[in-house]
Formats: sequence, C-alpha cells, structure tokens
Amino acid sequence: MTTMTTPAQAQAPSGCDSADDRAALRFECGSDGVAILTFDRPNSGANIFDRSTLEALDHFLAGLAERENLRGLILCSAKPQIFIAGADIDSVLCNADPEETTRLIQLGQDVFQRLSAMPFPTVAAIHGACLGGGYEMALACDYRIATPDRVTKIGLPETLLGIVPAWGGSTRLPRLIGFPRALDLILGGKTVPAKLAKKRGMIDAVVPREHLESFSRRLIERGKAPRLRRPLLNCFPASRVIQFLAKRRLQKKTRGCYPALPAALRLITQNLGLPESKALANERRVVQSLAKSPEARALIDVFRLRERAKKLGRHQHLDSKSSFRSTAVIGAGVMGAGIAHWCSSRGLATTLTDISSEQLARGMKLIVKRYAQGVKRRALTPAESQQGLDRITPFLGPFSLEHHGFVIEAAVEKMPVKKAIFRDLESRIGSHTILATNTSALSISDLAGATSCPDRVVGIHFFNPVHRMPLVEIVRGRDTSEETLQRTLSLIHKIGKLPVVVRDSPGFVVNRLLMPYMIEAGRLLESGVALEVIDEAMLDFGMPMGPLRLLDEVGLDVALHVADTLREALGDRMRSPDIIQQLIDQTRMGRKSNHGFYDYGKRVQPAPSVSSGNRSMSSQHIQERLVAVIINEAARCLEEEVVQDPRDIDFAMIMGTGFAPFRGGPLRHADAHGLTAVLRALQAAEAEPAPLLSAMAAKNQSFYPKSS
Amino acid sequence: MNSKPRLMIIDGVRTPFCKMATDLASCSADTLGSFAVKALLTKTGLDPSEVDEVIFGCVSQPAEAMNIARVIALRSGIPESVPAMTVHRNCASGFESLTTAYERLAADRGEVFLVGGAESMSQAPLLYQLSTATKFAALAKARSLGSRAGAMLAFRPRDFKPLIGLRLGLTDPVSGLNMGETAEILARENDLSRKSQDAFALRSHHRATAARKCLEEECTPVFLNGRAITTDNGVRHQQSMEALERLKPVFDRTTGTVTAGNASQITDGAVALLVMSERKADALGLQPLGELKDYAYTGCDPKRMGLGPVSAIQQVNASSGYRLEDADVIEINEAFAAQVLAVEKQLALCGEGTIADEQLNPHGGAIALGHPVGATGARLILSSLKTLHQRNAKKAIAALCVGGGQGGALWLERTT
Repeated sequence: MTTMTTPAQAQAPSGCDSADDRAALRFECGSDGVAILTFDRPNSGANIFDRSTLEALDHFLAGLAERENLRGLILCSAKPQIFIAGADIDSVLCNADPEETTRLIQLGQDVFQRLSAMPFPTVAAIHGACLGGGYEMALACDYRIATPDRVTKIGLPETLLGIVPAWGGSTRLPRLIGFPRALDLILGGKTVPAKLAKKRGMIDAVVPREHLESFSRRLIERGKAPRLRRPLLNCFPASRVIQFLAKRRLQKKTRGCYPALPAALRLITQNLGLPESKALANERRVVQSLAKSPEARALIDVFRLRERAKKLGRHQHLDSKSSFRSTAVIGAGVMGAGIAHWCSSRGLATTLTDISSEQLARGMKLIVKRYAQGVKRRALTPAESQQGLDRITPFLGPFSLEHHGFVIEAAVEKMPVKKAIFRDLESRIGSHTILATNTSALSISDLAGATSCPDRVVGIHFFNPVHRMPLVEIVRGRDTSEETLQRTLSLIHKIGKLPVVVRDSPGFVVNRLLMPYMIEAGRLLESGVALEVIDEAMLDFGMPMGPLRLLDEVGLDVALHVADTLREALGDRMRSPDIIQQLIDQTRMGRKSNHGFYDYGKRVQPAPSVSSGNRSMSSQHIQERLVAVIINEAARCLEEEVVQDPRDIDFAMIMGTGFAPFRGGPLRHADAHGLTAVLRALQAAEAEPAPLLSAMAAKNQSFYPKSS
Repeated sequence: MNSKPRLMIIDGVRTPFCKMATDLASCSADTLGSFAVKALLTKTGLDPSEVDEVIFGCVSQPAEAMNIARVIALRSGIPESVPAMTVHRNCASGFESLTTAYERLAADRGEVFLVGGAESMSQAPLLYQLSTATKFAALAKARSLGSRAGAMLAFRPRDFKPLIGLRLGLTDPVSGLNMGETAEILARENDLSRKSQDAFALRSHHRATAARKCLEEECTPVFLNGRAITTDNGVRHQQSMEALERLKPVFDRTTGTVTAGNASQITDGAVALLVMSERKADALGLQPLGELKDYAYTGCDPKRMGLGPVSAIQQVNASSGYRLEDADVIEINEAFAAQVLAVEKQLALCGEGTIADEQLNPHGGAIALGHPVGATGARLILSSLKTLHQRNAKKAIAALCVGGGQGGALWLERTT
C-alpha cells in the first residue's frame, strides 16, 4: 500500500485547523482505506491527553466517521518510549477551575465513546508506555496490540493518584478481562509488560514493532470485535462474593487511608451490569468527588515530586572522563553488597572489594540471593540475572581505580576507618574519579578534608535494603564541586534511584527526622503506653510500620549508635530513651537477634517484658505527638538550610521512610492541620519547639504557599 | 625469531585448581573463564576496549557455550565488537592460545590479546550412544499416533546407559588406548619402577606444599555460596610413600604401575593471560612479566603420546639456539609421573641434555595441582614466569605432552 504523507490539512477531515493540533496528531490514509492517526506531541518525549489533544482526536474521529471509503483506523504513537502516558495532570486534575476538570472528564468520555462507536474496526497499536487515559483509549478500540519491548508498559495507575479511571476504564476493562482481573489491575494501579498483558487478556496480541502496522491491517480485515460481557464472573452473585473478599483485603492493607480504593471497588462492581451511559455517569460522579479529596491532592503532589526527582541528572551529558564504565564499591557488608547488586542490575560494571575474603564471600552470596529473588519474582529473566552477576567482579587486594568513574565506599561507620580508606583510595584513583561515601551520619566535609581532592568527595546515602528503597540522599560537603554534584546526580539517574540533595549536617534529613520520632515512641512506652497501642496508632496514621517495630528492624544497637552521634551534634533532644539500652543489655538487639521490642518467632509478638504498660492514650493523641516531633525537626532542618525546599523534606520522608504518602509528607501534613496544633502536641511531648516553627505559627504562616 | 615482533606477557591470574566434583563443580567452564578474565582486567586496570581478540583454549567445550572464548569474552565485559575464538590442541590448548596470539601479532592482525584456558571436568557431559540418538530422531520424525508408539517401543533399557564424556575424551580414538595405558607403555619401555613414579608424585606434593604462598599469589579467589575459595585443593600436604604404595594400579590391574596417586588429577580451573606487542605495552606503560621467545609443536606416536615433549623440546631448541642448560626453570607437565620420567630419560639419551632436579617443576605439577586439560598450558606459562621473578632468573622452558600424539614446548624469558 502507499502511504500518503501530504500535509495534514489536505488529508484531515474538516475541523482541524489549529497548528498545534495538527502537530500533536498526524493523519495518514492509504489507498486501501485504512487510516492511521499518529500521536506526536510537539516538543515533548511523551504524548498526553489535554484539552487540545482530546479535541483534535474528537474532530478527526468525527470527520472519519462520515467518510465513505474508510475500512479501518490504526492509532499509534511516534514517540520511542511512550504511546500515551495518560491525562495531563495539570489541566485535567489540578485545574484551578474545577468546572474545567468536570468538562474535560466529560470530553474524554465522549471522545472515547465516539471512538468505540466508529463504524469500522479500530486498532490501538501500542509501543511504549500506555497508561491511564492512554489505555482507556485503547479499551475503546476494537483491538489492542503491543510490542514486547521493555518500554511498553500497560495499565491503569489512577488509584495511585487517589482517583479512579473515569474515561471508561472502570467500565470497559472488567467487560474485557473479567471482574477479578480488572480489580487486581485497577486497585493495584499496576502496569504490566506486553507479554503479561496478553496473558491477562488486556491486549489481543504481542507483535514486534516493525510488524505493528501490518498486523493491525490483518486485524482490521477481521471486522469489528464483538462486545464481551463475561457473564460468569461479572454477574451476581459471583461479583458480590469477589467484592466482599476484595473489600476485606483492602481494609486490612490500607486501614481505610486511601478512599479511592473502596470507591473504585464500589464503582467497578456497580458498573458491571449497567448500560454504558449510566456506567460512565457513575465514573464521572466518583472521580469528581475523589479529585477534590486531600488524599488525591497529596498523592498527586508526591507523583510530581517523584517526576521532579527523576529529572535531576537526566540532562547531564556525560563526557568520556565521567563515564560509568566501571564503578567500584569498597566494603562488601550488607550496604556495600546491596549497592553493588543495584548498580550491576542497572547495567554498571561494578568491582566489589573488601579487606576480608570471608566478608567478600558473604557479600557475593547476598548478591546472588538478590538476583535469585529477582528471577523468582519474575522481575528478571534468568539471562538478565546472569548478565547482572557477570557485571560484578569481586576482587581481593589492591587494584587500579584510575579508569573508574565512581568509587563508592561503604565500610563501617567510623571516621578514622573511612579516612584511612579514603587516603588509600586517593592514591589509586584517576584524575576524574569521584569518591563517594555511603554514610548515614558522618560528616562528608571532615572526610573530604583527609584527602587532597575534597572537591571530588560526595556523600551518597543509600537506605537499607538498597533494592527496595528508592531514595538516596546526596550529601554535598563544604568543598564538593558543582561538577561532582551533577555527575553524581547523573549516576543516580542512571541507576534509577530518586535523589534528594542535602547539605552536610548530622543525620542529613531522613535519619535526623526519624530519630526524634523513634525516641518519642520509646518515651511513650516508658511512660506506660502499651507497645501495641503505639505501633497500631502509627499504622492507622498510614506509616508502613510502627516506630518500635521500626527500631527492631533497624537494630537497637545501630539506633543507639546513631542517636548518640546525633546527640553529640544536636543536643539532648536526640537522647535515646533508657529502654533501648536496657534491651541491648538483655541482648535484645531487634530483628537480627530475633528479640527486641517484639519476639520474632513463627509469629511476631510484643515481648511480654516490654509491653506491660496500661496507660491509656488515644490513638489520635499518640499520632499527634509522634508526628509533631518529626515536624519540629523538619523545621530545624529548613532553618539550618539542610535543604532549602519543604518539598525536599516531604519527598525524602515519603520515599525514605514510607511516611504516609496520602498525607503528602510531614510538612504538608503540618500545613493541613495547622502549626498551632503542632505546637500544642510538642508541648504535650515536652519538646522545645523550633524557633522557625513558633515564629511561623505566630504569624499564621504555612510551609507551602497557602493556595497550593 | 629476533627480527620478528616480540609478544610480551603482561600479567596473568588463574582460579584455584579444584578437584573434580569439589569446590568449583557448580561452575561451568565459561563461568570459570570469566572469573579469571574479570579478575585479570581488574588487576591490570586495562580498558577492555583495548583488546583486539580473545583467544581461549578449552578441550571439552560445553554444549551450551560453543566457541567458549566468545562466551567468556562477553560475560567478562569485553566489548561486543572484539572478536573471540576458541583453540583446541588437547592438553596444549593453553599453549595454543598464546602462540596463536603470537601468530596474529606476527601477521599484523592485532596487538593486544586476552588468552588462556578454561576447563570444567566436573561438567563434562554424559552422552547417548549413536544408536539411541537415532531412535530419538526417529521418534521426533514420527507423526501419527501409531508410528510414534512404534518409535517409542524401539527403545531398550541399554539405550539409556550413558557414555561418559570424560572417559571418551581421555581415550585416543586412533590407537584406542586410554591416556593411562599410554603411560603404562612408557613405564614398561623405559623401565620405570612403581617406586620411582611414586617418589616423583610425592615430590610434586611436597613442592606444591612448600610453594603454597607462591601458588596462592597466582590465584584470584572464587566466591561461591558464601565461601572464598583461595587455594588449589588437590595438594596433599600429608602425602607419603606409604599412602602412595597402597594404591592399586588403575589401567593395568595385574602388572601395571600407574595409579591414581602418580597420575595427574582431574580438575576444574581457568587461567587468563594478558599479552600484547612490545609497542603497546610501552604505550600503555605496562611492565611485562616476560616474553615468548620461541615455540614448537611436534607429532609423535599416539600410543606414546607422553614422549611428545622430547621432540618438541628438540625442535624449539634447534630453532631458538637455546639449550636445556640455559633454562633456569623447566616446567614439564605432569600428566603422569612415568611420562615425565620417560621424557627426562629420552632427552638425556638423545643428547639434548640433563635436567637438574632443582629446575624441574619447582612448585609441583599436575600430580599435586591437577590438570584441567584446556587450562594447564596457560598455567605452565604463568607459573614459570612467576618463578623466574621469584628466583630472579632469566629463562624458562615449558613443555607438555598432548593426547593423540603431540608435544608442545616454548621458551619464555623475563624482561625486567
């Protein structure tokens, strides 16, 4: 067939006149009567749905529906990584004018309705990310096919933003793949690769990119696809049983913190039996109420912060001297092995070394285990796991680091040891090698002072376990150069972690904010509040685990060590409660020794010796006190300019500790509840408020601008 | 070869050599090879894109890693654009990787080479007999239910008795003799007593024990299952004549003299060497361990393959002008005690010279350390160069016998 690629206005049906629309959406029609609409948003790597794109699509479809000689329509994208990434969050969800949100939701539904009602077969030929509104458009087509490439990911992640799919996704997906699978996908907000999408029935075929178009034509030959209804699972009473079970699971998992999830569950169940027009009206009603909720606002903010962090370091073009050809990790303990595993899994050739061959062997064992877990979880193919392992060279004894772009030191947290290591490393590195240290508490500037190249010394604080924790704190020392910082950011970008840049100061952000929280929990425990009551209250607040359980996971000896270091630098508010020392004396070190605040046997139970308290305190009161000390310390961090932007603190706490994401972070939370309330809680905790906090409360200020 | 280019051996590392079915049994030959190459690259700090070709020897190439050199190269992070080839001259494959690199250099086809050898004798395959394979082929071709049933019924229990790949590999297909049987011939014809063979074997263990530290320095540890494997595990530090005398002959049970104790061990291991032209070594500022001065391969009677080194040494001496007396270190691979002793005797008989005990295999040989066939040649090169440095000596000759009736010998010289 011959594809005509004449200017759009000659080919396009009437109604598409603005220059922007023509660029965002390209139209071709071959002599065989198959039309191709290509999404190609100008000056962007991604296609998204905003008003103009939706209108352009609408006008094209309206024109096409009237054409006599058309036999089919193929929808595709010109972007190498993205099919359609979904709705434009700014204009669709966060529009200053809420009426516009309502109108755009309606518009999207109408356009996709029009698409599904086209008189000829339609095919979504997916290559790249096809998310949210992008997949909802695909759902309105007769056929969906996708490439097996790694960039192709398909799903409806709306619930992760605190809303529900409302451009027909909550209605069409269950009809296509059945109620249980649709629930799984929508409630989990999961995005899946093409192969899995095919298995679940989300797409009709997996097709190599080169064959997308020809295969689409073959599908068009088949004619319109019949509408599926999935009578067995989608009808009463099966659907009610499934709903009941899903509801129970949700409650257990989220403790009612995420209203979008039960709302989505209700919506999907209701819509199963409804005619399309009523079902779509339901979707509109639910999404409108959810979009206004504080949870959705906070989750959307977190999403934006994540995107912002991802972009750091992206545009740093790396010259050959800073190439990541080889990265060395010094120290094969849990952190060193974790870092080496992560770097190698992200394509970096990594040399792992340690002074002890036994430690190196243990480190390698841990790495092999991580890769095996990856294969077991099907996150990696066996070949990818092998390739990752092959990228690691465990090496005993000194070797040249001249060609290494980065050396990441992860030895024990003792300044004299680290200084000795850095002096030795310095003699072996090349003139462009960056010396990074993985420390959670020591001063980068001090360490850098031990070398003759302090400008190339930087802190990279990974969190344990490295493969699970997305955040890294990049610590800028007194002498760390801008170039070093930028190259470090590109490394972090390359290995897919989310950075937050902090000034060199004790505990940086995450540990510094976490410590008073854990200390306060210990004090509450000492004052007679029961262990379970404290941890349950914080779980209800939305934390991934209670503070005392967290202490067990960290290890009480480690926590004490960090607390002592911080106390030395920051004063008595970092004094660890006596109970920690008492437990250590009883060799209850936490999770690693199977005993701490809890006993870790077949079941995890509060240790009888610690949980005997019976002082009653309301859950809300506990939450207020424990969060207030975090906010207080955060205010001090801002005051001391550890970070400049309150967003950095909120982001670091959510990504680094799992601080309830739907609350948007401690400072967002403080703004929402008022600083005077925070001060009151601090008083109850007998904590001295940060000067910044008192001043702001007095002036009725907030951390974020009031309007946002 | 004075007017010809010089091939410098920059450095080398090897994995520890471990007896079959012990510490390294879970590693395939390509895994072992990549351990050695990665460690060598790290140790030398060489930019992998400087490499012009990877040339590795391997005798029993794994079915899942054909052209094992290429697999090793890619798994070790050598750029995809760098070619790789596997060489095979049985036990001399390790030598062959080096001499092939030399020939490449002489022909102006590259300057920097990663050479060596890798062998997992633990993972030598079990095979089906040809008759069984034919039946499987018939089954695969059968289409209808009836013909498939017929094809299946053709199998007999004896069809499933495997052929042991290792045993096939150690048998000369032309003469039909097992390698041990060829050693028995040498023992008989050269009048080598059981006692002299056992004494030689004991010497090998004693020397390897004494040289433990030097041998460890050749090795890069392998980290497996939370353990660091740092040393060769075939060396019997407590070996004694009494223990050796108690062993039964393996190949001729009634009157034979070759036992498991005075033959080389079956072993897993890999060796990697970085070699390059003199010009390139200077340009990269690398200090070579030594250089390849000359080499020769010769053929001999497959039934007396153990005598291969005699003719090879004669030829390499003739072409280089060196004499055995010039050698500060002489490495003759210990395939069998009887075979090394026979070589010594024959060299003396043909007037090539006598070998001083001090010079011969100073750190022990394959009887103590093991003989991962494809890797051994490269180990001899590495060991003799390291010994030259330890002794502050100049010249070494390394030789080995080759199954199928060949010999290989090469002269090495320390350059600094």
